[in-house]
Amino acid sequence: MWEETGDSVTLLCLTASSGVPLYCRSRGGSVKQQLPFSVIGSLNGVHMFGSNLDVLLTAACTENTRVVWKVFHNSITLIVLSSDEGASDFSLGRLLENVFSAMVLVLGLEELVNARNIERLKKDLKACYRLIDSFLEPGKCSADLTHYVECAVVPSRAILQVPHRFLTFQLVPGLEVVLLCGPSPSLQYVADELVKQFWQPLLDLLKQTARASPRCLPPSTSLAPGILGLLLINQEQRKSLFTVQPHGTQAEESEMPLKSRLCALRSFYALAISLYFPSEKSEGSTVPLQEEFQAGFSHHPLHCYIISATHKAYAIHGRQHQLFLLLKPDVPTFALRSLATSTLQALTAEDSAL
Amino acid sequence: MEKVVPAPSFESPREPPAEDCDACGDSNSTGNGGGSSPASVSWSSDDFEPEWLESVQKNGELFYLELSEDEEEAILQDSSVDVPVVNHVRFCENEPEVIHEISRKHRQNERKLEKLTKMLKNKNLISKQSLKKKATGKRDVRASGPASILKHHSSHKVGVVVQKQYKDVYIYINPTRQSNAETGEQLKLLESLIGIAHQSPWRKAEKHRHSTESRNAEEEKLVVHGLIPGSSAIRSGEILIGDVLVAVNDVEVNSENIERVLSCIPSPMQVKLTFEPSIFELEGTSQQRCKPPQSSMNNLLKLLWKDHDNDPQFSIRSIPHIIMYLSLRLDSDTSKDEQEILYQYPISEASQKMKSVRGIFLTLCDILENVTGAHIISSSMFLCGKLIHVAYWKESDKLLVIGLPAESVPLSQLRNMTADVVRMLTFMYGSLDSAFCQVENISRMDHFFCLFFHQALQPAGLHSRISPGSHHYDACSALFLYNFPGVHWLSLPQEIKVEIDTALSDLEAGDFAELSEDFYDMRRLYTILGSCLFYKGYLISNHLPKEDLTDIALYSRHYCLLPLAAEQRISQLVIWREVFPQHHLQSSKNSCDGYREPEARYFLLIIGLKHFMLSVLLEAGGCSSKAIGKPGPDSIYVDQVKATILQLEGIDLSIDEILESPSAPLVSSVDWFLPSSRDKLESLAPLPLLSKWQNPSHSVISPASKKMLFGDSTLRTRFTSPLQGSGGSSNDGDNPEGGRGNVNLHAAQSKSPGGFDKSSSLFKITKKKNILPGPFNLGSLKKNLSVKETELYNVMKLTSGPENTLFHYISLETMHGIFITPTHTEVAQLGGTIHPQLIKNFHRCCLSIRSLFQKTMMRETKKTAGTRRSLESKKPNSGLHQVREHGVLFECSPDKWTDQKKPTPPVMYWVIGRLFLDPKPREFYVCFHDSVTEVAVELAFKLSFGLAL
Repeated sequence: MWEETGDSVTLLCLTASSGVPLYCRSRGGSVKQQLPFSVIGSLNGVHMFGSNLDVLLTAACTENTRVVWKVFHNSITLIVLSSDEGASDFSLGRLLENVFSAMVLVLGLEELVNARNIERLKKDLKACYRLIDSFLEPGKCSADLTHYVECAVVPSRAILQVPHRFLTFQLVPGLEVVLLCGPSPSLQYVADELVKQFWQPLLDLLKQTARASPRCLPPSTSLAPGILGLLLINQEQRKSLFTVQPHGTQAEESEMPLKSRLCALRSFYALAISLYFPSEKSEGSTVPLQEEFQAGFSHHPLHCYIISATHKAYAIHGRQHQLFLLLKPDVPTFALRSLATSTLQALTAEDSAL
Repeated sequence: MEKVVPAPSFESPREPPAEDCDACGDSNSTGNGGGSSPASVSWSSDDFEPEWLESVQKNGELFYLELSEDEEEAILQDSSVDVPVVNHVRFCENEPEVIHEISRKHRQNERKLEKLTKMLKNKNLISKQSLKKKATGKRDVRASGPASILKHHSSHKVGVVVQKQYKDVYIYINPTRQSNAETGEQLKLLESLIGIAHQSPWRKAEKHRHSTESRNAEEEKLVVHGLIPGSSAIRSGEILIGDVLVAVNDVEVNSENIERVLSCIPSPMQVKLTFEPSIFELEGTSQQRCKPPQSSMNNLLKLLWKDHDNDPQFSIRSIPHIIMYLSLRLDSDTSKDEQEILYQYPISEASQKMKSVRGIFLTLCDILENVTGAHIISSSMFLCGKLIHVAYWKESDKLLVIGLPAESVPLSQLRNMTADVVRMLTFMYGSLDSAFCQVENISRMDHFFCLFFHQALQPAGLHSRISPGSHHYDACSALFLYNFPGVHWLSLPQEIKVEIDTALSDLEAGDFAELSEDFYDMRRLYTILGSCLFYKGYLISNHLPKEDLTDIALYSRHYCLLPLAAEQRISQLVIWREVFPQHHLQSSKNSCDGYREPEARYFLLIIGLKHFMLSVLLEAGGCSSKAIGKPGPDSIYVDQVKATILQLEGIDLSIDEILESPSAPLVSSVDWFLPSSRDKLESLAPLPLLSKWQNPSHSVISPASKKMLFGDSTLRTRFTSPLQGSGGSSNDGDNPEGGRGNVNLHAAQSKSPGGFDKSSSLFKITKKKNILPGPFNLGSLKKNLSVKETELYNVMKLTSGPENTLFHYISLETMHGIFITPTHTEVAQLGGTIHPQLIKNFHRCCLSIRSLFQKTMMRETKKTAGTRRSLESKKPNSGLHQVREHGVLFECSPDKWTDQKKPTPPVMYWVIGRLFLDPKPREFYVCFHDSVTEVAVELAFKLSFGLAL
């Protein structure tokens, strides 16, 4: 149906028990029309058929498309079809988790799991379309993939049973503060009093940061010129640093388009995590939902790198930090390791943030 | 299970064709009519007919495997006594057979055991029935009908089936050996063959006199009076003194006819002896049978997976795995259940579940193709607590589905394996349809997939008899190498190579008298397209196009012929079958460049003698005469191929020598890099290892010294290795002493491929270190250079460090369909405790690296084929589709450590794969110690120049 289109991602959401479609969001693809109901039905049906027989279908893959199924809390089934070449079972799995978390964020878990009125649920879910659509877009950051804080969504499906308010305030252009709070302080009070009270003294710093925002690095640190992008993760503090413009915004496009950098770094991360470095178990599920390739190794992978026609990439898996570097292709291969090690040292040495 | 005579005893869920029953009926009726025909005459071995002749199946196929004598012994000792392995492994099938007379031609597809059984039955039908009466309720049909061993389940695992007062013992008998040993006097066969001493009452005093006088004995019970030491009987451990032998292969025997019955055994085989146990024997061990019937008990399998304790078939039964061939075209009237399943294997509880969800496979295949416009490749599912990957292969309106657990076979590997299965089946049967949809192929398919799953799920079970080191090597590499698109190549010195090539060319020319057109004034039967010669499982010469070689290699690997040949378990192997090499068949369809392949039929002939295995691809049609019907192997061709091998037999010593000696790039064991063993090594050879190790980042060798030492020789190697054929030996020629001189030292000394072998110069280098700044700085200095220049720069500094840090490597020449890697002996010599782990890791890592390379290659081929739209290039590339090199650094800290006080310094090593696309696709995988300077990493890849064919 979408043979002639480029990347496209389609997300289906259905109730797990009855298979009623809740919504269908898609991105890309020249064909605007949605999947016919019969296809949605059979995609869900094939999964339901399996689960009735204690067989849990998780993924399928054709020459150009990947499909991933996931059921959350025995009540919501999410299905994603992606024809993005860079997509992997890992990244699509994360995508579905994010989408569900977004739904939880907006509606609350209770509402989702025990929805009585399907029609109302459908209507309510419209509120999270924008958020969901943002996940379907090709990633601009890494947090959706890494689940380390840098993002709008709580990575672990926090129990949002009671209604909370999700507030954002723009402090300076390009910089927003996000609050998650209970019912007590009124919006007026927070906006007028609290925000001022806490952020006013830091205004200069904020402006400075906002200017350097795509870089994500303090102006004092300078990285090796060969570096095109980096992702640094502090596993203990669940924080990450991600940038594909380590040298500022000016005139770097010549080397490699930003879009490609994003894509390359993200897929390199997905590769390293799904093949070599152990990712921490997501709480709750004891069975691995993806192939655990690294389980077959008798020794521990510490570093890995790839050299492609357009770029090089290097990853270090340390005890506390993980560093993923995207480098220019003309950086000599033998220099990759020392470059990565020194970068990691420079970024983590005295720096308190990571 | 308990059927009545004369129904055959196929326990397979598939019902055999009805003709089989007729066959049994026939055999019985002829037996009645013929009485005791002088059958033994036709059984006496005919010297002029090749021994494999009677094994040829109706469709002309032949799989004749005669094991070496040692192997026979081993089978007896190692495995449970009843393993239904005779030394002729053959693929039996459900085919009708008519036995009017006992002549080979009419009973071709029978196993010898059955033949003997039948024949004996025909002879003594009446006594057989009397035996039946005695043993009422004792036997299942297996005892009465001619049992197909292949279909025959292994219910008698323990070797003894005690039922009422009888026990069956399966022993192996080799009449030829006996006759060789005792040339003079004719022995009593009962003693010489089986090893049971029985003395007629009046002969008890003269124990060692053997004569034919036993004939005079009247209907006397055959009481076991003694067992001959070293005989089959005593080794079985089941025959006790005092037992009474009542039947041989269900033919009742007594002291009068025993010699006659035993004399009918024509050749080495297994026989069933039925004993009436002595009264002292405990009856506790009865009722051991009646395990669930297993499909396709398999001889070759048994032979290869000699599991030490239990039935190999049994241990993988609990693992969910399945192969199904499904029809996508469903008839509207679903009168028959499961009609869409055209073929399925295995039939076990675990796979039953996967069978029950075949609806998923069919639906997915259908809807995903509708939605995405592309065939489905794979899917994953959870089942029985395990993640199962399922690979699909769609061909017209049929769907092949193979499911295996992810923990055993990663998805990327499963896809490759599935592609290989399809390729192999197409090679063997022409198409998947003809492989799966013909009734007579079902048992062959069972056998095929039985082997397939064993290799996938129990790679360690195979090769259990090789020496421990290489065994492990095999086991851990098996999965990776199973579908490596190449054959293990062994480079030989020029003179040996010439000798082999000449011999093969002579054969291929087909110039021998019997084959020349003039001799008989008729067209020759076959044209020899090419041949390839294996020695101990290594390819040593190939005169076939890559495609054909790959086909043949896949076939040989799948049927485990290479490991068999490696251990000299083969005394003689003759394989003949029609094949469908797509390479020839497809190009015959589309004639492009003026030349077109003839419309011909192709046959594969594989002859194995000891360690040698010569595969020949024959063409019938074209310039040779057309093949009519289903021709069997032509003995002239078989003999000629055999003669070629025999002609080459002299070179095996020199090849062995090469196998023993380390090959061009020396490898070392990771264990040598552990401190404890370092102490030992230092006594052998003073190693600059320690300093280097502690200070790895600075150990850059000055380019000058390097150039002096290696530059010329490496370059020479590079240039003297031409792209084709003969260059392989040049490397050996370059550094003969460097290669072999220090083998026994086992020191982790430096052996660069370029070959510098003076340890004195070695130390000079180490002193010179730290002259250059660290590689990082070096890198930034050079960073202005373009990639190409940088690479070139590195070529010049190509070297290893002072000590040899190369642990393992694989070089895959995709163009030639071969790969080069250290030989088994080499790996075994390295020994060590961690090294096997390292190699296992290496192979697993190669899997992931290779899956990336495959993506790149797919993209490349798409690009060159021009099927991709221009739109493709504009898309931001995801980064993982043009990977040329991929490396992983591993850390290993040994578990147990002699010195407990100090923490173990971990050993770090790299596994790196590199893909070369120009001038021809090549893949190279290396594993080396972390202490190698980053510059020297390049070395590893340059090695491939020296390794070129």
